Amino acid sequence: MTRPYSSARRSGRPAHAVRALLAGSAVLVLSACEGGAIGANTPVSSGQSFVGASYSSTYFSPGSRPMAPDIHAKTLTGQKFSLAAERGDVVVLNFWGSWCSPCRREAPALAALATYFRKDPVRFVGDNVLDYTASALAFERQFNVGYPSLNDQSEQVVLAFHSTVPPNAIPSTLVIDRTGHIAARVVGEASFQGLRALILKILAEKS
Amino acid sequence: MTLRLAGRQGRADAPAPSADQAGQADPDGPADPGQAGRVSRAGHGGQGVKGGVPFGLGGWLRWGWRQLTSMRTALVLLFLLALASIPGSVLPQEGIDPAAVSQYYAAHPALAPLLARLSGFDVFGAPWFAAIYLLLFTSLAGCVLPRAYRMARSARQPPPKAPRHIGRLPQATSFAAPAAPDQALGSAAGFLTKRRFRVRTGEGWVSAEKGYLHEVGNLLFHVALLGLLASVALGGLFGYKANKLLVEHQTFANTPAGLDVFRPGRLVTATDLQPFSITLRSFSARYVETGPQRGQPLEYNARLSYSASYGGRLRSYDLQVNHPLNVDGVQVFLIGHGYAPEFKVTDGTGRVVFDQPVPFIPLEQSGLTSAGVIKVPGASPRELGFAGVFLPTEVVTPAGTLASVFPAAWIPRVSLVSYAGNLGMNGGQPQSVYSLDTRHMHQLDVAPRPLAPGQSIVLPHGLGTLTFTGYVQWASLAITYDPGQMPALISALTALAGLILSFLVRRRRLFVRAVAGDAGGAVVEFGGLTRSDAAGGFEAEFAELAGEIMQTVGGFPAGAGQAAAGQVGDGGHAGGAASADDEVVLAEQEAASDDDQVALAGQRESE
Repeated sequence: MTRPYSSARRSGRPAHAVRALLAGSAVLVLSACEGGAIGANTPVSSGQSFVGASYSSTYFSPGSRPMAPDIHAKTLTGQKFSLAAERGDVVVLNFWGSWCSPCRREAPALAALATYFRKDPVRFVGDNVLDYTASALAFERQFNVGYPSLNDQSEQVVLAFHSTVPPNAIPSTLVIDRTGHIAARVVGEASFQGLRALILKILAEKS
Repeated sequence: MTLRLAGRQGRADAPAPSADQAGQADPDGPADPGQAGRVSRAGHGGQGVKGGVPFGLGGWLRWGWRQLTSMRTALVLLFLLALASIPGSVLPQEGIDPAAVSQYYAAHPALAPLLARLSGFDVFGAPWFAAIYLLLFTSLAGCVLPRAYRMARSARQPPPKAPRHIGRLPQATSFAAPAAPDQALGSAAGFLTKRRFRVRTGEGWVSAEKGYLHEVGNLLFHVALLGLLASVALGGLFGYKANKLLVEHQTFANTPAGLDVFRPGRLVTATDLQPFSITLRSFSARYVETGPQRGQPLEYNARLSYSASYGGRLRSYDLQVNHPLNVDGVQVFLIGHGYAPEFKVTDGTGRVVFDQPVPFIPLEQSGLTSAGVIKVPGASPRELGFAGVFLPTEVVTPAGTLASVFPAAWIPRVSLVSYAGNLGMNGGQPQSVYSLDTRHMHQLDVAPRPLAPGQSIVLPHGLGTLTFTGYVQWASLAITYDPGQMPALISALTALAGLILSFLVRRRRLFVRAVAGDAGGAVVEFGGLTRSDAAGGFEAEFAELAGEIMQTVGGFPAGAGQAAAGQVGDGGHAGGAASADDEVVLAEQEAASDDDQVALAGQRESE
């Protein structure tokens, strides 16, 4: 396929038309045709196509939990982090970006939950996606986030979860049980009550 | 599909209640291409619906189905599809150029929301577009499937019985032979078999047929057409397309969260995305620097490094306009570029709260004047926002306004308006990074002055400082995955091959009848017909075969073909006056000339 650059936008359309035909044919089920809502909540989405991540909260029963990948990453302040080293604790992994409005809105609830569970074997870790350090650190100061966040500007941590329970949107929150399996996923803005209930349930399980 | 059904459709002209009758009349159906011929006209030419008055629900449904699957409807739908694509190439499309859509909103604030409601910015994903497409799909499938079935049948059919009046065939001749009729027929059959005809013999006749590849070609074409549709559907269900704007030195992963615009097929889930990562290491552009073409782009090159999987080996690729990157079956195209000026913001408390490039969107191509906004929600005591333009090669026009006269960054400047207040980013409502909501902000009194790299704006009331630290470039990528692409290509090529085959090969039938002559020996009638003789040449072939058969049988001419045929014909009919059947048969043959049934001889069999 060729696309002369000077008229890339124009010439892109015939090819696009074909692809759109494909999209059209996909509507065999005759459902309404709308763009993918997931992923639209990213730094460089245009204003009009902006669709907030629709909220969903999923709990996986102990037998059906995918293993979380091992993650080695650096935090925003340069410390090393390994997910496997947290085995034995429940890990709450929150994917966020300072540019993301729903993340800013859920931040107080997460910070409060981290305080609420400070005496329990629950580790809170953030994963700062597609962001820049100065903005991310300003976010943490602003919302008094007491737990560390991984520097995931290049989305490699997100990618590591690709074949398990991918965080489909920003924000998303995963709860990983004491054995290192993914026990719950919240896509969209987490609430204090909802996430607390999930964590308590997973914390109460015998490991 | 059953023959019974074909029979019903065959009587498409008749009102619906007679459909059962038609079904019952089917015992002679299997070898009755004449009926099939009618079906095919009903399906393709739309003749079958003329004058048809539907009765009852079933009748209406059948009538509707015939309308939908008619060639006329398919053509109308095809035309509608083309028509419906026009807004897709006139209006900016969300999936191709979201930035242009934003610009359109800014330029036409009243019209844009209306167009958006009509899916004007997502034409190819619009329900009405899908409706046209689906109808076309149904129409084609409804037409092609029964047709392919009939062709498969027709290709397997043995040649029909020889007609009684061979002399009425388009090509006919007769001659006398010394041998007995049976003997003459035997040697004729032997000859035709040797010439690789499919031969069938009966009491006093031989019929032969050749050119079945014509039917095979037709069949290939029609099946490939369906294959094409299926490939397209495959792409629509399992493919996806996405856009990503990538700043130099930035990496993104092919995940729903990381893509700017993501349009998955119906059956695509996040885990189906190929897990590659791409880093834009650098972007370079060359432009014509002098002459009337000044400012025109000569070359773009996006140097990428990528890995096909998490933690996979890093590879390099120079992404250029006509050289998409193929990762794991996914095509990555370079579709746009621009500048991302870098800013550092220190807030009122003296902390650095922002230090990053910000993609600005080109407003025009000749000077790449670009617009963008900077949001600093982490600033205290007040949140800060800036909106402005980036000018790659700044000049001050005689009117005193700022402009960029060249797309390369020769004299890069930014000009910003500063705001303080509440950006509205903590309410959870997703915002565009390209627009600044100033409803809860106020403009700061800063003397408007374009900034050169390294220069700063010191905000009043100790709110902070913004420094224009430099700039990088960005490239926008279109990511498309279409698993139907290869099957579609194969189908298209097969369709073409089938079409060529059906054009080049003609199906022709030859018939021989022999009766005892008045003076001993035999009178041999030899006739032939063909259809779809697009390439011509059957007449010559017939003449040659006739000569050879006469030679084989050892015959000699007995008068000029047509006249003689009349005389040796069946005594039951007066020579010139054709039976009603023959009239029908010949008419049928003419009428059927737009489809692929050789109706003539087939009809005979039901006599």
